[in-house]
Amino acid sequence: MKKFLTILFCLALISGSLFAAGSNEAPAEEVDSNVVKVALIIENTIDDKGWCQAMHDGIIAAQKSLPGRIEYNYTEKMKPVDAGSAARQYVAQGYDIIIAHGAQYKNLIMEMAEEYPDVSFAFGTSAEVGPDNVFTYMPESEETGYLSGIIAGMTTKANVIGLVGPVDAGDAARYNRGFVLGVQAVNPKAKIMVAHSGSFSDFVKAGEVAQSQIRSGADVLTGSSQQALGALRAVADYPNEEIWWVGQDIAQIHINEGYKVIAASSYNYASVIEGLVAKLDAGVLGGEVIPLNFSNGGFVFEFNPALETMYAGEIEEKVNAAIDSFNAASGTINYTSVDYSEL
Amino acid sequence: MNFIVNILSLGIPFSVALLIASLGEMFNQRAGVFNLGCEGIMAMGAFLGMLVPYSIGQGGPTSGMYNVLGLGLAMVVGALLGIFFAFVVVTFRAPQGIAGIGLQMFGVGTAGTLFRHFIGGTQSVPGIGNLPIPGLSKIPLIGPIFFSHNILVYLAFLFVPLAWYILFKTPWGLRVRAVGTNPRAADSIGIQVNRVRYQALAVGGALAGLAGAYLSLAQVKMFSDEIIAGRGFIAVALVYFGHWHPVKIMGGALLFSLAQALQLAIQGQGINFPYEFAVMLPYVMVIIVLAFSRESQLLGPTSLGKSFNREKRV
Repeated sequence: MKKFLTILFCLALISGSLFAAGSNEAPAEEVDSNVVKVALIIENTIDDKGWCQAMHDGIIAAQKSLPGRIEYNYTEKMKPVDAGSAARQYVAQGYDIIIAHGAQYKNLIMEMAEEYPDVSFAFGTSAEVGPDNVFTYMPESEETGYLSGIIAGMTTKANVIGLVGPVDAGDAARYNRGFVLGVQAVNPKAKIMVAHSGSFSDFVKAGEVAQSQIRSGADVLTGSSQQALGALRAVADYPNEEIWWVGQDIAQIHINEGYKVIAASSYNYASVIEGLVAKLDAGVLGGEVIPLNFSNGGFVFEFNPALETMYAGEIEEKVNAAIDSFNAASGTINYTSVDYSEL
Repeated sequence: MNFIVNILSLGIPFSVALLIASLGEMFNQRAGVFNLGCEGIMAMGAFLGMLVPYSIGQGGPTSGMYNVLGLGLAMVVGALLGIFFAFVVVTFRAPQGIAGIGLQMFGVGTAGTLFRHFIGGTQSVPGIGNLPIPGLSKIPLIGPIFFSHNILVYLAFLFVPLAWYILFKTPWGLRVRAVGTNPRAADSIGIQVNRVRYQALAVGGALAGLAGAYLSLAQVKMFSDEIIAGRGFIAVALVYFGHWHPVKIMGGALLFSLAQALQLAIQGQGINFPYEFAVMLPYVMVIIVLAFSRESQLLGPTSLGKSFNREKRV
């Protein structure tokens, strides 16, 4: 009896865990051959107000801009070790392209691409050119970082600015270095405190980083990835003080803490998805790197209208001038020149 | 000087979740049961702690009352999960390690599922604000370090002498230590071993739930299902670090958190030091201290991890 109950308990735990992991898989259906079936695999959730939500929102937007062309499904909370089974199910269901949203899925995608050469795969961020059936994408986020840096450099009164990074890699590293260059372009005397939480998702630690920087005198902060929400929350712990945030996700303007967000940029993955659909239509399954930048519509930027008095005038002019220059030509920010040890 | 004050004034609130959870785990282990499910109970506590103020008390004039209700709910459900764990490992004598991992997965998964169902995406609450102690908080240097925190910080440090008193000066504390050291001897003098273990696990669960609620209601004032991020396991390690003694456990929690505040300050000062090493610093310090502890200090309660079967011959 006891053994039976113990086994029952274990089964309950396993089923509870599986239920908790969630699934959004739909049964395979016969679809119009004109429809491109897109599957998304993410490590967080579609409403994380960060990295994963940006891709999900982009696919939804692309569905609207290409009516009837995209069938979409997604699976959340997939660690790289678990993502293989989800990806194989999508292959079995006849999906045309499987997007694994994160560089952590690289090995999985490379294996799958070899196993299923007729299916297209995509992952990012990565600037590497993949096999013939793998697309990679790379946000050139030094551009959005540069805009945030201009705003922070011109807003700070203490001349101390906080930068809450997740890890020094990928688009986060490009954003941070672009931010440093943006600050230095408008306020070379400002001290920039760069610190990393060591995690893309641990917003408790990001909050601790921000608290540390605020106590050290920072009055404008920024940060990227999901962890940045914790840092923004720490800024909002000073509701009556002149401590501000510049965001790397426009959704941050519209949450409770948005009254602290002067402006924010976002990735517009809709342009990536539309580009992928066009390439699949042309019979190209991969072998290309797709950049995201202002000139190809991969980025969007918004000021917070509620804080117009803070940016109207010189800040707005400088930001708009920078956006115009990015629209004219990409790759103009030499982010690799930044050395944090010299700040 | 400001640099040091900042580290100390940040390190103390950073330590609170670990301190409360570790004290709870100490009661578990003193009674002979190690609960690796601490992480899962903390996740449930974090979710339930913010659910009440988020759902019904959103920033209103009575939000303080809803915060208290949230904390209470987190503790009650934490205690129930502790009792549930006791049912599995004490009554049915399931292996504690495996059952603890199961509870961890169950708690984290369930908290995440309920969060998606009841709240949806990441949301914040006004939470518990700081409560500077009048007069004392104005003392230079000392004030910002010790007397400018939220009420849970003060309570957490009051739990330390309270836990010491309960463990070493009350009959119940003596029974807890007895069943964790020699349950057969305890049984022979009439102590109901399993009942005491149930009680200890309920207390441990309640404190783990409170620790989770501290994170979501007082430290970051928001929830996502990754909020605990391994802190439950660190709490278990801190019990070993602190040799199952409340004061030493407090020392461990403070050391870990001060190291965390120090590494953040080092990074922020632009000192040319790889941030990866800075992030590792708190963990490395704990490992070093454990490595240099005498083996006898790390043995713990002699019946730790062993189930008790009255009928079984020894």
